[in-house]
Amino acid sequence: MKKQKIKNQIRRLRFDANEMTQAELAEKASVTRQTIIALEAQKYSPSLELAFRIVKVFDVPLEDAFQYN
Amino acid sequence: MKFLNNYSNRELNMWARLTLDILVSVYFISKTSPLIINYQFYSNELMRDALVPTILTTVVIAIIYSIIVFGTINTLTKREEKDERDYIYELKSYKISNNIYQISNYLIISVIIFNVLYQEKFGELTPQKIAIILFIIVLLSSTGKSLTQLFNYRKNI
Repeated sequence: MKKQKIKNQIRRLRFDANEMTQAELAEKASVTRQTIIALEAQKYSPSLELAFRIVKVFDVPLEDAFQYN
Repeated sequence: MKFLNNYSNRELNMWARLTLDILVSVYFISKTSPLIINYQFYSNELMRDALVPTILTTVVIAIIYSIIVFGTINTLTKREEKDERDYIYELKSYKISNNIYQISNYLIISVIIFNVLYQEKFGELTPQKIAIILFIIVLLSSTGKSLTQLFNYRKNI
């Protein structure tokens, strides 16, 4: 399987945000819950637009949520 | 019906689509393959008479299946909007489908030319026979598309 170069901290950020559920995050970021599952499992790299939508939900800078290896 | 809640609406639709493609392909190929393999027993008229009801039955099966299965899925589970991941996997599956379609078409064209050059080694390639083969190619490329889409979807969750 192709190794994803973009790592993310979405699981931790969800935990810090009052243990927000995957479904809640999915709804706020306008994606499906399956996409959040794939992101947290580091199996999918989001588009730049989705990355910005996710950090907007948590109100953190982009580099706190996503890192390029 | 509780098991439906374990799967997303998108995934259920993909499974249903794949099942439909396989069902229709198996039915159509099983009905039409004797027409191609035992071509010497069928006149053009006989082949046409056998082909038209098969195509009509295939279309009717597909419509009835779609109304019942897709209707049930979309009634019992919450409909989801497509997101960027769905579009990416859809594009990948269309690519596979297109490759199957193109390669098969090149093969058919090669067979037709080969047949002309080498005195009909594959028997007479009538329009009916070519139509059957083209239908089968369409069904196989559609099955390939559904399979790839479901595979990519399952692989990453």
